Amino acid sequence: MSKHKQILLTNVNQPDQHLIEHAIKRGAYERLQKALSLDPLKVIEEVKASQLRGRGGAGFPTGMKWGFVPRDSGKPVYLINNADESEPGTFKDRVLLERDPHLVIEGMLCAAWALQSEWSCIYVRGEYAFPYVRVQRAIEQAYEKGFLGDNVCGSGWKHHMVIHRGAGAYICGEETALLESLEGRKGQPRLKPPFPAVAGYYGCPTVINNVETLSNIPWIIDNGGEAYAAIGVENSTGTKLVSASGHLNTPGVFEVEMGYPLLEFIEQECGGVRDGNALMGVIPGGSSVNVLTAEECEGVRLDYDSLKNAGSSLGCAGFMVMDETTDPIEAVLSLSRFYSHESCGQCTPCREGAHWIEKIFARIARGEGQPGDLELIENLCDQIGGHTICAFGDTMILPYRSFVRKFRQQFRERITQVLKGGESTRNPIDFEIGMH
Amino acid sequence: MSEAQSQSEKPPMVTATIDGQEVTVPKGTNIIEAAKSVEVEIPFYCYHPHLSVPGNCRICQVEVEGAPKLMIGCHTQLTDGMVVKTHKTSELVQKTQASTMELLLINHPLDCTVCDQAGHCKLQDYHFEYNAKPSRFLEYKQNKPKAVPLGSTVMLDGERCIACTRCVRFCDEVTETGEIGLMNRGDRYLISVKEGKELENPLSGTVVDLCPVGALTHRDWRFNTRIWYANPTDSVCTGCSTGCNAKVFERDGQVVQVKARLNSAVNKEWLCDEGRYGFDRFLPRERVLTSSVKGEATSWEEALAKVTPLKNGKTLLLLAPDLTVEEYSLVEAFRERCLQEDSQAVVAYRSRELSRVEEILVSPDYAPNFQGAYFSQERLRPNGAVCESAHREEREQAYENALREVKENTFDNIVFVGDRAVCDQDLADMELLQAISRTPFTLGMLCDREGALYENCTVVLPARSILEKSGLFLNGKFRLQYVDRVVPLAEGAFQHWKIFGEIAASFGKPIVDARSDRDLTLSYLGAEPRVAGITIRQVKNGGIDLLTYVPAQEGESGESSNVEVSKSSE
Ligand SMILES: Cc1cc2nc3c(=O)[nH]c(=O)nc-3n(C[C@H](O)[C@H](O)[C@H](O)COP(=O)(O)O)c2cc1C
Ligand code: SF4
Ligand code: SF4
Repeated sequence: MSKHKQILLTNVNQPDQHLIEHAIKRGAYERLQKALSLDPLKVIEEVKASQLRGRGGAGFPTGMKWGFVPRDSGKPVYLINNADESEPGTFKDRVLLERDPHLVIEGMLCAAWALQSEWSCIYVRGEYAFPYVRVQRAIEQAYEKGFLGDNVCGSGWKHHMVIHRGAGAYICGEETALLESLEGRKGQPRLKPPFPAVAGYYGCPTVINNVETLSNIPWIIDNGGEAYAAIGVENSTGTKLVSASGHLNTPGVFEVEMGYPLLEFIEQECGGVRDGNALMGVIPGGSSVNVLTAEECEGVRLDYDSLKNAGSSLGCAGFMVMDETTDPIEAVLSLSRFYSHESCGQCTPCREGAHWIEKIFARIARGEGQPGDLELIENLCDQIGGHTICAFGDTMILPYRSFVRKFRQQFRERITQVLKGGESTRNPIDFEIGMH
Repeated sequence: MSEAQSQSEKPPMVTATIDGQEVTVPKGTNIIEAAKSVEVEIPFYCYHPHLSVPGNCRICQVEVEGAPKLMIGCHTQLTDGMVVKTHKTSELVQKTQASTMELLLINHPLDCTVCDQAGHCKLQDYHFEYNAKPSRFLEYKQNKPKAVPLGSTVMLDGERCIACTRCVRFCDEVTETGEIGLMNRGDRYLISVKEGKELENPLSGTVVDLCPVGALTHRDWRFNTRIWYANPTDSVCTGCSTGCNAKVFERDGQVVQVKARLNSAVNKEWLCDEGRYGFDRFLPRERVLTSSVKGEATSWEEALAKVTPLKNGKTLLLLAPDLTVEEYSLVEAFRERCLQEDSQAVVAYRSRELSRVEEILVSPDYAPNFQGAYFSQERLRPNGAVCESAHREEREQAYENALREVKENTFDNIVFVGDRAVCDQDLADMELLQAISRTPFTLGMLCDREGALYENCTVVLPARSILEKSGLFLNGKFRLQYVDRVVPLAEGAFQHWKIFGEIAASFGKPIVDARSDRDLTLSYLGAEPRVAGITIRQVKNGGIDLLTYVPAQEGESGESSNVEVSKSSE
């Protein structure tokens, strides 16, 4: 049992929490009733006061995002719950969707009330078949109980909710690609501006939030924004779900207060590095952030600022631990396979660069590295970052760059060792042809 | 953007600097277009002024002072005080462009040696202009299907495609037929027809023009020539009265390729398949190259001597709708000076039904210059109140009346001026053909030896095809444009104006002393007050809208409201 304050995971270990009767017994939908008694703008004020930041990766202040939504556009406002959770190493939303779907729905309803939205959607990743079924059932139950429908809790306010299952594309987690997908087209990010808050789903004001972000709202309504802001540290308030995976003795999803020391987290919550091995490094935020070496992890805490100062990022806290037996070249190759498979292929630098880099990593890993390969990778990263339509390109390069920089010794050895040993399987003619 | 237009609407203007030059453009103009106005060319693949902006190719990135990263010129609007640096002044932009080019080419098959696009390919051009360095790519390239037919007109080479989605957007946004899409993610992307569909619409060939690379090619014209062996001419399609601007490539007397030219006021950058693939349908295979009298070949002089019946009796001049404006005006002079007073000149005009997609571009006729005929016959100045559809009805009525009179044998003489002097559907009318053959004297100024008119004329004089002539055309919406000769001349055939001139001269009443088409156009522009001040350059570059044109007074130049400079945006 965690010594941390539990806001989100309180009930996930109750085997019947997904059934509405049992969830209600444990207080579900009470916070909704309270929200409905408040002025919508007051709800936004509370969320602003809580200093809650988006848990989907970018960490954008949630209250501020809601504040951008024009209230007099004459168009409907849509709320979308981003449950695409496809970032490598991230599986926290799944726990909420599967084990406490009514918390998720209640959070969405509170947010929808604040935004005066009458229609919301949960966009769940295609591979999440079981969470899909659970949430679908939970929505039906909420309709039966009158928490959803034309007259929510007898308040006269109407709200409808659907769940949409994606077709299995990482990029559909990017909010504008998600909108494209939801509108029935190929999931590809849109050019911004306009931003979804102004012109999103079918051109209407749309708020897109992560599952975890929205699941915090009921607690904030219940206890007030101030109380939420009192948890955690400055700039990183509240608790954070961490999906811990990799070479740990007890991996899993943990709710910790923001600011919890990283190494202590490994030892206390995750049972330490497996087999008593030494730590090689951690990718703390889901794969799209800089890797931290064991030394760099010293003194770092799990919050936005501390990880940023350490040269990485909290992201969505997909915490991947690598012990000393890890081959960093294979590790980054594996990530690069993911990114080249998932690049939507719209813009030139990301589409072509992702594959090129993957092929170089693969070549190095096969023992066919060339002098200059690392510099080429770094140069390509420079050419991708900042030059693409969406943040996929900007963030894909972070692990590449940091692995090549921080584990340069290993890369160099692999490249030169083969050159010396002459064991390369590479046909020299390929090299000649490639040059031209 | 011309001054006259800003006077009429006065859109708010913004002023900024691009590479140190001050630029003032209407608010909302993007950086690419703004830069164009000061002759700074920003490269682009995916952008097209008449399609939505996807911003995917990334080659148009520029530096904007104060922005955290480079901005794309297609999606970024110029704002007041903006300081923009393009590749001309920014090293960062140069580096980015070079890198984008390198990335675009890593999976490209580099099969320029067998590619129809070679020589007019933006990958080639931009590579030399913005990168020109050997590739650092040592890996295996992606392989994709090659020579995939998308429909009856267009062939795809999947490996050459750079995923700009211009073709997809055209079919989604313009024709709204949505036959094709960009399938798959990442570098496995592939243009493909959607399940159960084929790329079949009346404008389908346009996607080939829009494709900036050699991924889409015309099935009709694949591998027929290296483009640099062909002679390009900027002309106008004479299929219907839309007057689409086209670039026509000719080699050995054959039309080997037709591309649309950008003209925002006429055809944007689209062409219909009928006009494009049938561009040479007005160049008959079997030509009339000698004069003949009653089917017997004669000399020119002998034939001329036989047209004297025109001096007497009632004559009908049936005019093809593809004569030039100058010719129509000469025909009027001829009618007045050389024919009896009750003679008539009527242009062949029949309306036709259009499908939904055709309506986007095509006009409901096969009469490219019927307005030109009107303009020459009625000595009025067209003004904004001119109703296009009323015109069409009038022309059709006049033509039908003339045919009815022909059938009633009220004419002593009929002159068929051009192969299209009688509409195709009427040539199938046996009653009409019989009436024609009963007419005492018929003269044809014809080009096609296999056509029905050729058989039915007493005297035939060899005329040039519209592909062999140059001159002014007035499209359905009264835009004065220039049709240029696109194929070499066939020996022995003459322009219609020349034939009229010779006949008039043989009657002792000369009406023209021009030596060439250009001569004639110049003298027409100099003499006709309603077009005073218009230059050949203007009509060649986008044309002049006569509805709003204010003719020059003595010693001044005319004022036109919207000269569109036609510049290809391939
Ligand atoms: C490539 C890419 C993938 C993303 N995937 C997800 C995702 O799976 N889930 C998610 O909540 N946000 C994802 N995001 C972030 C969303 O775009 C968006 O910022 C987020 O859903 C906003 O919610 P929040 O403010 O509550 O964090 C992704 C962003 C990018 C660029
Ligand atoms: S950066 Fe990558 S994922 Fe994002 S739009 Fe461009 S190609 Fe697609
Ligand atoms: S086929 Fe041509 S026009 Fe279509 S996406 Fe590919 S490069 Fe662009």
